[in-house]
Amino acid sequence: MSHDVGKVPFKNPGWAGNTGEFDLTEAQVRGDDFVGERPKHGGHASGAGTLPYMLADKSPEAPLFEGEYKQRFDKILTRYPTKRAALLPALALAQEIRGHVSPESMDRVAELLELSPAYVRGVATFYTMYNKAPVGRYLVQVCTNISCNLCGADEVLATFLRYTDTEIGETSEDGNFMVVEAECLAACGFPTCVQINSRYYENVTPAEVQKIVEHLKAQGD
Amino acid sequence: MSTAPTTVTLTIDGQTVTVPKGMTILEAAKTIGTKVPHYCYHPGLTSPAMCRLCLVEVEGAPKPQPSCVTTVADGQVVKTESDKALGNRRGVLEFYLVNHPLDCPICDMSGECDLQNYVHEEGREHGRGAEPKRVFGRDDFGGDVLFYGDRCVMCTRCVRFMSEVEKDERLTVVERGNRSVIDTFFEEGLEGTHWHGNIVDICPVGALVSKDFLHKARAWDLAHTPSVCASCSQGCNVDLHTRDNGVQRVKPRENLDVNGWWMCDHGRHDYEWMNRGDRIEAPLVRQADGSARAVAWKDALGALLARSRELEGRGVKAVVSPRASNEDLGALAELVGALGGGEIVYRSERAAEEIVLEGFPTLARRKDLAPNVKGAQLLGIHRVGSDDATGGLDAVRAHDGIVVVLGDALEDADERFGSSAALYVYIGTHAAEGAKSAHFVLPVTTHAEQEGTFTNHEGRVQRFWPALTPPGMARPAWLVLGALVAELSGEPVPRTAAEAFAALAEAVPAFGGLDYGTLGARGAVAQLPAAATRG
Repeated sequence: MSHDVGKVPFKNPGWAGNTGEFDLTEAQVRGDDFVGERPKHGGHASGAGTLPYMLADKSPEAPLFEGEYKQRFDKILTRYPTKRAALLPALALAQEIRGHVSPESMDRVAELLELSPAYVRGVATFYTMYNKAPVGRYLVQVCTNISCNLCGADEVLATFLRYTDTEIGETSEDGNFMVVEAECLAACGFPTCVQINSRYYENVTPAEVQKIVEHLKAQGD
Repeated sequence: MSTAPTTVTLTIDGQTVTVPKGMTILEAAKTIGTKVPHYCYHPGLTSPAMCRLCLVEVEGAPKPQPSCVTTVADGQVVKTESDKALGNRRGVLEFYLVNHPLDCPICDMSGECDLQNYVHEEGREHGRGAEPKRVFGRDDFGGDVLFYGDRCVMCTRCVRFMSEVEKDERLTVVERGNRSVIDTFFEEGLEGTHWHGNIVDICPVGALVSKDFLHKARAWDLAHTPSVCASCSQGCNVDLHTRDNGVQRVKPRENLDVNGWWMCDHGRHDYEWMNRGDRIEAPLVRQADGSARAVAWKDALGALLARSRELEGRGVKAVVSPRASNEDLGALAELVGALGGGEIVYRSERAAEEIVLEGFPTLARRKDLAPNVKGAQLLGIHRVGSDDATGGLDAVRAHDGIVVVLGDALEDADERFGSSAALYVYIGTHAAEGAKSAHFVLPVTTHAEQEGTFTNHEGRVQRFWPALTPPGMARPAWLVLGALVAELSGEPVPRTAAEAFAALAEAVPAFGGLDYGTLGARGAVAQLPAAATRG
């Protein structure tokens, strides 16, 4: 299902760089492969490993790297000179399948890439974009770094917590939301920026938070 | 052919020094006795230059240079003690203490800790941090290793040892920033690795400590005695750390020809036997009524000589342990010769596999689990029995002449062992069941209590020094046997281990040309029979 910006009842739910100043469509900016329902096999090899997807529907117990995901994993390997070099995208793929990188995922990735599990753990824990524990269907990352902070990010964060009825880093009771603070999301021109799963919501004000939360509950990201 | 010079000349702290090309500043400074403080650098590992403590001022360079990776250059002027270098170290050390718990009074490393030493020498008198310290607590890494995360300075020597030397990457840096900490893969520990004790040695602070040594002794109460590991025929150079006449721990001693900076966990933890209390403490002489009586050495040796003269020519069968030194074995061989000759055999444990340290492949836990197997072989003593050091003594049991046992604990023998011999002499350290029928039981010292040499698997003769005071009347076997030989043959009694070795070098071609002076602390390779015929 292709994402229709026009149907969303608030501005700029899109990709970073969508300022509204240009008449470019998402497909023109990102390329057709990355728009709409993304193929699980990852599309072209160049994108198979580079785009970490965060899906709402994820299952922590799902088998790793099977079927289409096996194809995608193999495509990732073709992009790198050594197996070790494919570690980051391999972990991202594991996270896409299961929603987080569990010790079992690390062990499996280590086995497939012929690395030591301890080394893989070291890498996985270094990067904050790998979730080390299960998250809600929607991971709401509110930027509270300097630009967004100056434009009221703290209040946006507090409002998200109120409407999702959670504490920072907690999954809501219905399993839908986890709200966390993020350091700079590189969208300083559009504060406050909120990343929800793979999608950026820009210029978010506290007044829009309720709409966003309800929209997510109703129809996905 | 290249005529480029292979050395460079530079100035370090005003001192001119000429070193091979390609050397690092830190190593060049070491050659003139200038120690640049460092954590992450270790001569046996790669240098990531991440501790930032070894930064020195190099004239002309815009910034201080990490001396552990900066190579020397001709005409370079290095200052390790300038205001810039000192100021840098002062600043870096202050950061190291931001989260350090300063629990030196309960830390095992206290007294030999690089953080303690450096801060004491060059750090600030008082910290300026007002913030609460980050707390990790401690973590059991499995095996013999306990990890105190708060003391860690993140030098990653342990991580690099496991990946580069042991080649079993069990450790890693987990998390980032000030939350970063050394850890294993979740519940997987260091169990099953054979060299992990080394990460405790190379940890510059008290972050990795030995469970075996935990809170056992303070570093400054320990005496260090150079010795040789007696757990296999590799002959790792070690230091015995002793207190209260007991070995408290064993640490490897650097010798690039043998063990580098490392030793295996089996050898490291095989020291309790040196502290055992069930020792033979006095010469025992079997009386007519069958009881054993403790007598003075003079009386015991006098009676033994009288008896052995009566039996001269009846043939000697001797069993030795390859845990005895070259000097001891040589003296025994002399005695057997003086008594009219006979057969000498040894028994020793053999492991099924060698355990090679992959990153330092000349070091392995060898199959022969005794330190002086090669020495025994060079003396013409041959091996009997099975791989668990039992059996093979049927001929000795049945012998009706003179039976001598040196050092073998006779674990598979009962109290009737040696009862068919006309004269059975047991020379040993610990009370043994198989010594109960002995006519003479003579107490001797362990290698930890005497001076001597072992010959390792490649024929390297290495000295060890006495670390413990022997119990009671126990004396080195070379002295006891030497005294007997002197009485029988009229040769002088060796007064020192050096003289005992000199006698050995004269008698056995393999040891020819060697003496304690040339052996020094690092040993020298004996002329093995094959090499001797070639040369």
